[in-house]
Amino acid sequence: MSGVFARVRILPLLAVFAAAALLVTFPIWSAPWEGSRYATSILRDMLVLAILALSLDLLVGSAGMPSLGQSAYFGAGAYAAAIAGQRLGSDDLLLGLGAAILVSSLLALAIGAVAVRAAGIFFLMLTLAFAQMVFAVAFQAVDITGGSNGFSGVRRPMLFGLDFNGPDALFHLVAVIFLVVLLIVWRIRSSTYGRALVGLRENERRMRALGYDTTRLKLSAFVLAGAIAGVGGALQAYSLRFVSTNDVGVARSVEAFVSVLIGGASSLLGPVVGAIVVLFIERVMPSYIAFAETVLGLVFIIFVLAARQGIVGLARVAYARARA
Amino acid sequence: MTPETAVVQALNGISFGALLFILAAGLSLIFGMMDVVNLAHGAFYMLGAYITLSVVQRTGQFWLALVLAPVLIGALGLLMEPLLLRRLRGRHLDQVLLTIGVSLVIADLIGLTWGREIRSVPFPAGLDHAITILGGDYPVYRLFVIAFGAALAVVLAIVHRRTRVGALIRAGVQDAPMLAALGVDIDRLFAVTFAIGAALAGLAGVIAAPVFGIYPGMDVDYLIYSLVVVVVGGLGTLSGAVAGSALIGPADTFGKVLVPQFALALIFAIMALVLLLRPTGLLGRIRIAR
Repeated sequence: MSGVFARVRILPLLAVFAAAALLVTFPIWSAPWEGSRYATSILRDMLVLAILALSLDLLVGSAGMPSLGQSAYFGAGAYAAAIAGQRLGSDDLLLGLGAAILVSSLLALAIGAVAVRAAGIFFLMLTLAFAQMVFAVAFQAVDITGGSNGFSGVRRPMLFGLDFNGPDALFHLVAVIFLVVLLIVWRIRSSTYGRALVGLRENERRMRALGYDTTRLKLSAFVLAGAIAGVGGALQAYSLRFVSTNDVGVARSVEAFVSVLIGGASSLLGPVVGAIVVLFIERVMPSYIAFAETVLGLVFIIFVLAARQGIVGLARVAYARARA
Repeated sequence: MTPETAVVQALNGISFGALLFILAAGLSLIFGMMDVVNLAHGAFYMLGAYITLSVVQRTGQFWLALVLAPVLIGALGLLMEPLLLRRLRGRHLDQVLLTIGVSLVIADLIGLTWGREIRSVPFPAGLDHAITILGGDYPVYRLFVIAFGAALAVVLAIVHRRTRVGALIRAGVQDAPMLAALGVDIDRLFAVTFAIGAALAGLAGVIAAPVFGIYPGMDVDYLIYSLVVVVVGGLGTLSGAVAGSALIGPADTFGKVLVPQFALALIFAIMALVLLLRPTGLLGRIRIAR
C-alpha cells in the first residue's frame, strides 16, 4: 500500500523537478540551435513578466482585487535595485533585491492604504491612477531616475562570488528566482492566509462577520504583491541593464493584467502561461506582422468575452472531459 | 509670479479644465448609466484628435472635423455596445476589462494609420489670432475652448433636465432594471448612452487637437486625467464632472508653473485627499471608497 502512495506522490514531484531543471539549463541545452541566444533573452523576459503576473494574480485571482497599477511596484523595484547598486557601489544581489523589496512594499503600503478602501471597478481606477502618479514622479525626478532618458549602466549582480554578468548566467539567476517566487506563491495560495484571501473574493461581508479585519487583510495582500512585483522589477533592471519609465508605465500594468486573464486567473500556472503568450505576441510576432498589439487586444477581448477562465481553465475543462 | 502671469495661467487652467469637462462628462455619463468605467475613453479621445488631423490636412476645415469626428466615434460606440459590451451584461468588471482590449486595438490601429510621431493641427481660421490681456498676447482659441466647454455644460444640463432623453438617462442612472420593467427599451438606451459618451470623448479630442497636442500615448494621459476628474468631482453626475474639472484643470496648470518637480503628482495627491475626506467625491452620490 505505502508503495502505491509513494509512487503517486513522487512521480509528479519528479516531473516538476525535471521541468525546473530543464528551464534553468535552457541556455545550455539549447546552445546548438542557432536561435538560442535570442530565445534565451525572450524566455528570460517572459519569466520576469510571469513574476509580475504572479504577483498580480495574488490580488486579482485570489483576493478579487483587480489592480491595474501593478507596474508601479515593478518599476519601483527596478529603480531601487539599479540606484542602490550604483549609489552604494555594490554588486551584491541581496542588496539589490533587498532594496527592491523594501521600496516596492513601502510604496504599496502607502498607495494601498488609500486604494484598498475601494472595491471592484473603483479599486481598479484608483490603482491605475496612483500608478500613473508613480510614473509621473519617475518621469520628473530626472536627477534620481534619469527621467525620460532612463537609468542606464545598471550593474549586473554578484552573489557569494558568483558573477551573473553573462547573459547565460543571468538567465540561470532569473530562472531560479522565478522558481522560488513560484514556490512562494504556491505556498501562499495553499496556506490559511491564501484561503482567507479567497474568502475576501467570494464574500467579504462573511469574512468580516467571521472576525477577519478585511481591510488589513487586503492591505497585506497588496503589500505582498507589491514586494513580489518589486523582485520582478529588479530582475528586469539586471536583465536589460537599463530602467526606463516604460517599466512604471500603464502599458506594463496592462501586460500583466492581460497575462493573468489570458492565462487564467486564480491558478498557479495561469499567469505564467499568460506571460508567455503575451510576450510571444508582443516580441516574436512583430517580426512577421505589423499589428501585433492589435492581435493582443483582440485575443484579450475574445478571452474576456468567451473564455474568462483563461487557457489553464480551458485546459482543465478539456482534461476533465477527456477523463470522464 | 506676477499678476499678469497669474491671469494668463488662470486662463490656461480654466481652458484645460473646460477640455477636461468635455472628456469627463462622457466618462461619467456612461458610468452613471451602465456602471462601466470605459477605459477606451482615452482611445476615443485620441481618435477624435487624429480624425481632426486628417480632416484639416485634407480639407483645411476644422469645423467639419468638429462635426465629423464625434459622429464617427459616436457610431463606433453605437456598434461597440451591442456587439461587445452587451454580451457581458451584469458583469461590470468584465465590461471594464473588455474596454482595455478595445483601447489596445484602437491605439495600435491609430499608430499604424497615422504613424507614431508627434503631430499638430493649426488653429482654425477665425480663432488663429491673439488678443491683448494685461499687456501680453493670449491665443483666442483657448478662450474659445472655455466658451465651448461652458456652452456644452449648459446644453448638457438642459438636455439632462428638460428633455425626454434626459429624463430617460436620469431614470436609468437611478434604477435601470426598473426602467426596463416599465417598458423602456433599455438595450437601445444603453447603446445610445454609450454612443453619446464616446462622441463626447471624440469631441474633446477635436477641441484639444490645436492646443493640447497629438501624440502616441495621449490616450493613456487623458484617460487618467478624466478618471481623476470624475473621482474628485463624483462619479455619475454632471455637476461632479463640472466640479472635478474646475478643480483639476487649474490645479494641474498652476502646479506645472509653481512646483514643476511635483506637478504631475499634484493632481493625484488632491485625488487621494478628496477620497479620504469625501469618499463620494465632491458632488457625487456613489461611494468610491470606504
